[in-house]
Amino acid sequence: MVIEQYTIAPTPKYNFSQPSIDTTLPQRFIEQSISSLKYVHNQSFQLNQQPFQQATDIELHAPTFQLKAQPITLKSNHEETPIVACDTSTIKIGETSTGMLIAVRGANVCKQGRSYKYTRLGPFIFHITEENRREVYDALERAYFISSCRQSHFGFANLLQNPTRIASLLERWLQAAVSRTMNEGLVLFDGSLTAGTGDTSVERLKEILAGARQYRNIVLALSKMTNLRINGYLITELPIQQRTPYLLETIGLRPKPPIVLLGDVYVAKLSHGNYAFRLDIDKANSNEQKIEAVEKLLGNDSLSQGYPETLKLAHIFCTFTANEVIAMQHFIARKHGLKILNRPDMHKLLFGPYGRGESYS
Amino acid sequence: MKLYKKEGNILQILSFPNETVEKGDYLLVDDAEARKALIAQVIDVQFASIPGVLEELLRSLPDGGELMQGEDFDPLGIASHITYIQDASLLVCKIRASVENDSLSPSSSWLPSRSQSTIKKLPVPTLLKLAKIDGKLPIVLGGTKDSSFLTIDASNLDGRLNIITGKKETGKSHLSKLLMVNLVGYKATVVVFDLNGEYISLGMTGDGKRNPYYDKIHVLTPGQNFKVALKQVNLHVLLGILIHALHLPGTSAREFRRIWQSLKEKDSLTLHELGEAIRNLNCNQHVRDALSSRYHALVNSAFFTDNIAEATLLEDCLYKAKQYGGAVVVNLRNTSTIDRQIVVEYILGKLVDQLTSWKLEATFLFAEEAHLYLRETYWDDIVTRMRHFGIFTTFITNQPDTIKENIYRQADNIFLFNFTNEHDLDVVSRAARVDAETVRSIARDLPPHHCLILGKVVKDFPMVVKVKALDVKTMGETRLFFKDTN
Repeated sequence: MVIEQYTIAPTPKYNFSQPSIDTTLPQRFIEQSISSLKYVHNQSFQLNQQPFQQATDIELHAPTFQLKAQPITLKSNHEETPIVACDTSTIKIGETSTGMLIAVRGANVCKQGRSYKYTRLGPFIFHITEENRREVYDALERAYFISSCRQSHFGFANLLQNPTRIASLLERWLQAAVSRTMNEGLVLFDGSLTAGTGDTSVERLKEILAGARQYRNIVLALSKMTNLRINGYLITELPIQQRTPYLLETIGLRPKPPIVLLGDVYVAKLSHGNYAFRLDIDKANSNEQKIEAVEKLLGNDSLSQGYPETLKLAHIFCTFTANEVIAMQHFIARKHGLKILNRPDMHKLLFGPYGRGESYS
Repeated sequence: MKLYKKEGNILQILSFPNETVEKGDYLLVDDAEARKALIAQVIDVQFASIPGVLEELLRSLPDGGELMQGEDFDPLGIASHITYIQDASLLVCKIRASVENDSLSPSSSWLPSRSQSTIKKLPVPTLLKLAKIDGKLPIVLGGTKDSSFLTIDASNLDGRLNIITGKKETGKSHLSKLLMVNLVGYKATVVVFDLNGEYISLGMTGDGKRNPYYDKIHVLTPGQNFKVALKQVNLHVLLGILIHALHLPGTSAREFRRIWQSLKEKDSLTLHELGEAIRNLNCNQHVRDALSSRYHALVNSAFFTDNIAEATLLEDCLYKAKQYGGAVVVNLRNTSTIDRQIVVEYILGKLVDQLTSWKLEATFLFAEEAHLYLRETYWDDIVTRMRHFGIFTTFITNQPDTIKENIYRQADNIFLFNFTNEHDLDVVSRAARVDAETVRSIARDLPPHHCLILGKVVKDFPMVVKVKALDVKTMGETRLFFKDTN
């Protein structure tokens, strides 16, 4: 007689970011947020809702690069692999006489098996003025990225860039955190693996990628938009006769210093349809590892319109809805006694129906 | 609360989750600068249209429709503000009056300041005081939502046409009993057409003892303790019965009149003599047959008798009721349709007689499901002609479409219980003293025993009241088969 036994499989080695996430940076975010809001008591503020688009693809490259003629055909690899994606967003929620009020929020979404789980940090509200903008940013950067603090003076051209810089800081922290909280997984970044820009120093990104490699994770960065062109055509819009899914590798892509590419750049068309994306994969991995990583992504995540669901969810969870913006304005008015003003829109005032003005409702 | 919009006499007010306002509540929109205020009643509570709410809801359900698991690290506590904004509601209110120098006017022609106006709930007692809904003859109908009593003045039922309507088992009969005993308490004469024998125990308490109304409730059951002798009946009353209840043609009615007068001259107005006279009548066979069949209908009703000792004088009951206040309950239970019509024709004819001869001053008539015994032409008669004689009717029905539209238009007070059926609500909303939106919106959500009162008794401020309990023996219960399980 055979006794039927269940195979007891060992617990997978990987684990997900725990609720008890290292809150050093969020703690500083709270401190800086509260500290920056201290000085806005009883001021007036003008409602002005405007999302900031994070620059994801700063292309300061030599225009001599090519795409390999032979596409890499991909096959789904269904070996169970954890996937984590991070994204942040920032929005201007109003203006004061001395600066502006912004909100920043980050989210990471983990996929294990068939279920998704999210962790959302924020929103953190900052009052950024000409006087405190450097102080706020430096304090935040010092709190976590001690090694690259000296880079913080980079790109402080104007006040308007601050919100994206702060969001970028939170995003890098999230990326660093998730890269070290699981094993043998895929870490999806929104954007590219370009470093040496105003908001991402080479050291910082290297640190993040090294951390991911230490835990045998592979970083894949997907850009929704790119301005890399070959013969005037965007690389994601080139007509390629190849069955999906596939990758097209770029060769000879050398950005101008101080910009550094820490990943190999591909054109990835991961599902049927018209959409291809720029995909950066950590350079330090072998070609086989890179391809295997993309195949694992195909086998483990849903890819509607060629974009991973996990990354899509991370974006959805950090994006601010109009309702949340109203709630934050309500919070500021209630908690910090800010009076809401409705300053006339000069565009509309001067040009009537021809003045587009700033779009807010 | 914040004033958002005004369109016609509709106000839209933004309300936040910590402000608990429900349908039927009254609000005072006070513009201190203008020294005026608006009294508005909430007729609907909706979600405020907050931008981004749909995205917010969709975001929480991306995982195949299941709520997505996750953790929020929200150090500033913005989530509570999001909920606060998301749960904001829009109160659709109907302007009922303006207040200026403590006096009310029905005008809603001015616009209160959107930014400066303060909005607060107007407690019912304050409103009652402002609207002067009290009077010397108070009838406590029950409790309002803010635990105050709603008292109407009995004189506002005097000379009025009232309708009590609502679906089954919502408390219509209970309210009519409450009104009735209070009117009797103020020495009014009340006549009730009691279709289901619900009012016959009004003089008894719930546990079967006599209550203060015991001596004032006169129950008349046709064929049993309520019979009439032909001598007590006027010719025009009997002709009314023959023509309207028994559909006697005109030619035969003329022959009947001749027979009646001949019997009266001989002082032999009895059923037996009438039957003989019809049998021996020398006339067209069809006329004789017509008279004969009506005669047998009268005999079979058992309402008429030749035994004077057995006959009840309705006048006596009405006289007693007039002197001390009282209700004449005509128990129409177990009475056939034809017999019911005969009895009702007789009573209405008698009432008109009594009122025209000033033997009676005025009578409050409570008619349950009147379409089952009132002939078509009597409806208009009751609300127009008979009102001038002093018959003030209260119709009680669970089928509002059985009451004609012109009756609704002339109704002075409407006591409306729950209705869910659109058609029923449509019918009721045709009443002149009510706006359709109020009826549709509030009546639909009324719990059992809660009544929306509209009309003169509440000075046109629609009020919701939980009708108070009455210690009388209940007789209107439905007979059940599964008694134990129910």
